[in-house]
Amino acid sequence: MFPTRALCARSIWKGPHIVPLPIVRPAAGERVAPIKTQARSATILPNFVGLKFQVHNGKIYNDVLITEDMVGHKLGEFSPTRKRFTYKQTKNK
Amino acid sequence: MVFVFGVNFPEQRLASLERFYGVGPQLSERLMARFHIHPTAKIGALGGRQITDLNAELTKLTIENDLRRKIQDNIKRLRDMGSYRGRRHAMGLPVRGQKTRTQITTARRLNRVDRKG
Repeated sequence: MFPTRALCARSIWKGPHIVPLPIVRPAAGERVAPIKTQARSATILPNFVGLKFQVHNGKIYNDVLITEDMVGHKLGEFSPTRKRFTYKQTKNK
Repeated sequence: MVFVFGVNFPEQRLASLERFYGVGPQLSERLMARFHIHPTAKIGALGGRQITDLNAELTKLTIENDLRRKIQDNIKRLRDMGSYRGRRHAMGLPVRGQKTRTQITTARRLNRVDRKG
């Protein structure tokens, strides 16, 4: 029996995909602007928990608040890239 | 009638454990081999000792409703995080990047937040 194939996606010896992000630890009672990034493939590390990111989806930056569950996933998983199809009536025909 | 893990089996049936959700051909074969049960043996031919052994082994596994709940919890976690995979489950579409132009009947049938089966 194999463990889940999802674990085969990336070699363990490489470690998580770490992208240098401008992370500032907020001092107590101080508000920090969200971190704007296009690095959708950056792995969410345990020290990201509680931070606010703005993750690019190809067009706009979506706000993502990192919770404890998200550790180990990628930033891009929380910024949807596709729009639902909606039919638009043509006006001049 | 023989009870194995709370389920009533007719005696004429083959002694296969694949009736339980979460026990497939491989695991069933392995468990039966461990207690010296032939794959073509009928349930009625089993000794009481073998049945209690099977019961004890099955209680150790996560099968049936425990497994269903585990799967549902995993999907719910993805959904609550707001991840792409959770969204795809909620929409009833393929989760792992398959094409959706054709052939998505399995996803339509199974992918949902409170997944059944």
